[in-house]
Amino acid sequence: MAETTQLELVTPARVMLSKSVEMVVIPGSEGLFGVLAHHAPVLANLQRGVVEVHEGGKIIDRIMIDGGVADVTENGVTILAERAENLDTASSQEVRERALASTGADAEFLTIVAEAL
Amino acid sequence: MPNLKDLKTRINSVKSTQKITSAMKMVAAAKLRRAQEAAESGRPYAARMSAVIASLATKTDRSSASPLLVGRADDKTHLLVIMSADKGLCGGFNGSIARTARKLIAEKQASGHKVLVYVVGRKAGVALGSEIADIVFSRIEGVQGSHMTFGNASEIGQKIIDGFEAETFDSVSLLYNRFVNAITQTVTHTSLIPAEVEATEETIADGLTASYEYEPDEAEILSALLPRNLATQIFSALLESSAAELAARMTAMDNATRNAGDMIDRLTLVYNRTRQANITNELIEIISGAEAL
Repeated sequence: MAETTQLELVTPARVMLSKSVEMVVIPGSEGLFGVLAHHAPVLANLQRGVVEVHEGGKIIDRIMIDGGVADVTENGVTILAERAENLDTASSQEVRERALASTGADAEFLTIVAEAL
Repeated sequence: MPNLKDLKTRINSVKSTQKITSAMKMVAAAKLRRAQEAAESGRPYAARMSAVIASLATKTDRSSASPLLVGRADDKTHLLVIMSADKGLCGGFNGSIARTARKLIAEKQASGHKVLVYVVGRKAGVALGSEIADIVFSRIEGVQGSHMTFGNASEIGQKIIDGFEAETFDSVSLLYNRFVNAITQTVTHTSLIPAEVEATEETIADGLTASYEYEPDEAEILSALLPRNLATQIFSALLESSAAELAARMTAMDNATRNAGDMIDRLTLVYNRTRQANITNELIEIISGAEAL
């Protein structure tokens, strides 16, 4: 198994993801970038997009985030996102219902998530 | 001598009060567990956010930094965000917020500042009443408890930033009850603008050694992060305050239930004594009647 780096995806409500990953692709404001183990320290603004967790050449987790910031250090990657939805576990129907129940930026984000599903 | 019927009514009324207070205590306890979990699961985000801000702040030039971080040089008007509960019956929870707010407003005014207040939650506003009627910047209710979302916090944060940018006020601080444990809540006063940067030794050392790369650059990241940090602080204060409110209500209702129990005991004692006295009286009447014959 290849070397791994610790990925944490945190939203205001909870720690959404915390695990060792081979590679994670992050939607930076200047473009997508991938993080492997021993990546140089970077602090990056993120735009709305999908965080992809790769393992063994396959994508194992896809999480849509609504912008945020990524802090890459020698110890791992921390992604802070105000809104995040796991595209692999959420159902389009359920997300659509939540989009209708919420307002403002929440509703807008959830609608986009529902379309991506 | 109180009559028996009145006493009985009194006892029954205290008993139904006790039922209500003990039900409220149970409801608060059940909700507290969820609120406490929410408060605890919200902490990692707030902690990491302030760590990132702190490490950025040590590296940016303070003279050119955003006023959201360092504040305005000319601090004339202060905005105090007062966070209290929407509902009462929670002991000294709202009272202590109102009391501290009154003191802070007086202090600020004494040092020559103008003060505005942003009232979050209904009760402190009611308690302060006419004292703050002329200096209210805005009010918001119903953002606590089960319908609390990060969206609410962003809304409050955005309103504060808009007001700050329009130069309605030059500095902002937040007053709320922090949840310590089920018995203790502490009134906490933190500065929002300028941002309170906890430069721990670790972050300073981090800032010196880590050769970070920035994408796009420090200033831009900071300007994107500061408004989010404001919303995050408000959100975590809302979470803490909600948990603290439920804890305070639980304790208050527990006391009330116990007091009602004591009261029932006392009233029952009086009731029994009175009943006995009545019986004795009647007996005396009968006996003295019989003797008179």
